[in-house]
Amino acid sequence: MRKKQCVAMLLAGGQGSRLGILTKNVAKPAVPYGGKYRIIDFPLSNCTNSGIDVVGVLTQYRPLELNAYIGSGSPWDLDLSNGGVFVLPPYQTGKTGEWYKGTANAIYQNIPFIAQWDPEYVLVLSGDHIYKMDYNAMLRAHIKNGADLTIAVREVPWEEAPRFGILNTDENNQITEFEEKPAHPKSNKASMGVYIFSWSKMRKYLEMDEADPNSENDFGKNIIPTMLDAGEKLFTYTFDGYWKDVGTIESLWEANMDLLTLPMPIDLYDKRWRIYARNPGMPPHSIDSGAKVVDSLITEGCEVKGVIRHSVLFAGVTVETGAEITDAVVMPGAVIERGAVVRRAIIAENAHICAGAVVGEETGKIAVVGPKATVAAGDKVAAGVQIDADAQ
Amino acid sequence: MKDVMGLIYTGENDIHLGELTSQRAVAALPIAGRYRVIDFQLSSMVHTGIKNVGVITQKNYSSLMDHIGSGREWDLHGKQGLVMLPPFLTRENMGVYTGLLDALKSNANFLRLSSQEYIVLTNSHTVYNIDFTDALRDHVESGADLTILYTHGSKFTGTDSENGTYLSVSEDGTVTGMEIGSAVPTRECASLKIYITKRELLRQLVEQGAANGLHSFERDVLQRNINQGNLKVHGYEYKGLACQIDSIQSYFNFNMSLLNSDVRRQLFPADRPVYTKVRDDLPARYVEDSQCSGSLVANGCVIEGTVINSVLFRGVKIAKGAVVKNSIIMQDAQIQEGAEIDHCILDKQSVIRRNGRLIAPAAYPIVIAKNVVI
Repeated sequence: MRKKQCVAMLLAGGQGSRLGILTKNVAKPAVPYGGKYRIIDFPLSNCTNSGIDVVGVLTQYRPLELNAYIGSGSPWDLDLSNGGVFVLPPYQTGKTGEWYKGTANAIYQNIPFIAQWDPEYVLVLSGDHIYKMDYNAMLRAHIKNGADLTIAVREVPWEEAPRFGILNTDENNQITEFEEKPAHPKSNKASMGVYIFSWSKMRKYLEMDEADPNSENDFGKNIIPTMLDAGEKLFTYTFDGYWKDVGTIESLWEANMDLLTLPMPIDLYDKRWRIYARNPGMPPHSIDSGAKVVDSLITEGCEVKGVIRHSVLFAGVTVETGAEITDAVVMPGAVIERGAVVRRAIIAENAHICAGAVVGEETGKIAVVGPKATVAAGDKVAAGVQIDADAQ
Repeated sequence: MKDVMGLIYTGENDIHLGELTSQRAVAALPIAGRYRVIDFQLSSMVHTGIKNVGVITQKNYSSLMDHIGSGREWDLHGKQGLVMLPPFLTRENMGVYTGLLDALKSNANFLRLSSQEYIVLTNSHTVYNIDFTDALRDHVESGADLTILYTHGSKFTGTDSENGTYLSVSEDGTVTGMEIGSAVPTRECASLKIYITKRELLRQLVEQGAANGLHSFERDVLQRNINQGNLKVHGYEYKGLACQIDSIQSYFNFNMSLLNSDVRRQLFPADRPVYTKVRDDLPARYVEDSQCSGSLVANGCVIEGTVINSVLFRGVKIAKGAVVKNSIIMQDAQIQEGAEIDHCILDKQSVIRRNGRLIAPAAYPIVIAKNVVI
């Protein structure tokens, strides 16, 4: 393997338990978003668009669907003879071997993977956010500052700052203090969980951290404070583009609805920064002569005979005559039978809403029908309720 | 792996497609909202398990090359994969093929160097989604030298008889007669111009034909050998949907036929998707007061106006107040505010400016060429 300047490590092992039924059987980065994407398409596309062509994807929780989705990496141009995307599950070494204990431990266990590329820098990413970011611009700032660690931040509204990991800096953006969820924040620079480390320093601190039996092996809780205390050079890099956490049912729904705002707050039409996805290979969608579609995104393979308002339909969704879908996210392969009503809801992959059923309410929390779940004819699913196929 | 290879000839006569094929081969003609015609032949071969596919190109093949690339979208980027066979100039070969026989002769090396026992040879202007496995089995069981896939004439849409070849097929499936380009065909079995034979036998037929100064594979090799009884030719009836794209009207009618969900189901069965070059467009966007009915719409479209009974390819923009009826609009074309079109075929990136009107009669759709602004 030939040397690479920068290697990306994508932490994709978390369960994403706040997404409830949607991540019961799949890892969070594999959750569908925006009609044709999955969450992981954003960091992977950002990498390829930033010229970073070695991406290690650290998986642990329910990896099958994510692994199949990543495949050879060709949709993101990450199937290369020297580089590409690599799925990295925990593995046995001799008689030992263990699960990833924390974010830092996950990278620690993959030190041999990183070392193969003899990089100068390591980019650490998570698979939790929808955003378009030039990591290479961040890398340039890291190099210019002579930093040991650069943390991407965004300036959040002051009243929300107590919910985040907050970084206090001097006038040159050098970090002076890190506070996890401060009650009285001194800054509104919130960590995005995107880090660039200089590899030699990263390796040193990962090894130190691993040797400490009291450590939780977490970047936020352990590595960053330790580096700060040791007087290493830590800088922030401010990102001011669209950035949306999709870690909860409500935020995932909102992030989908954001795409229906005009102009779109995240420009997915930008040809210079395409977000790539694996293509399902279906014919164009059909809007029947009796159908009505307004203020919506409709993906290939859909067959629409009903009424769609302010909703996002993924590939291969069937909406029968007389069905009404409003303020909803309908994931691939779902079927909404005749006369069914769906409001403020997420209908997961291959779910089936039978004739005359009612899912969700005009106000209140988002209703969720889980993957492959069925809502029987005439049944009602109230706001905030989640339907689990396994419980049926 | 199946012991069969594929060969697609894309050099056929396309005079009746007018402007649509002035800059491209029929194989590269955009069709069905997101595809090119060759996607159907390639996908059929791939779903049959064929791994080695040659594409013989003739004129204007740059758009075809661009479309096919490495063949990855069809999973044909493997060890054998896809081989583009453009024309070339040698002392014996002028690089301009007078017909399929001539093209096969020029590419005899590809046939010689391939290793498979059988070959599926097809033209590039017929749209179908066929798993050839059954036809291959039928061919082997029949003991014939060569099998022609045909369909009942009444089912074969699109063609006018002068472009058609019709067969007499006896009860045991033997092809006993062939008529080519007859104004009033007397036979009912329409040849799909898809042939299955042994690769070695095809090589021999090509060598013999060329040695005798012949040009047409159909007329000089097949018809002559059938009439003289030198070749045992079998007919395999394909009962599914097939459409020949050989005129502007047949192109228009075929695209419109896809508005029917039964036709779509036949052409795009869930277990045999049609592969094409991926563009990474986002889903189609409908705004607050858009109106769309009875239409096929591809990803990347933005619909602000009215669309009725039409096929919209990827990235088409229909502005506020624009009205599109009974039309086929290829990728990235734009209909600006207040413009109105009916029975039009708009080629790629063409633009109908503000308040423009283009209303054509149903029997004679207007073609607007690529990049034209009206």
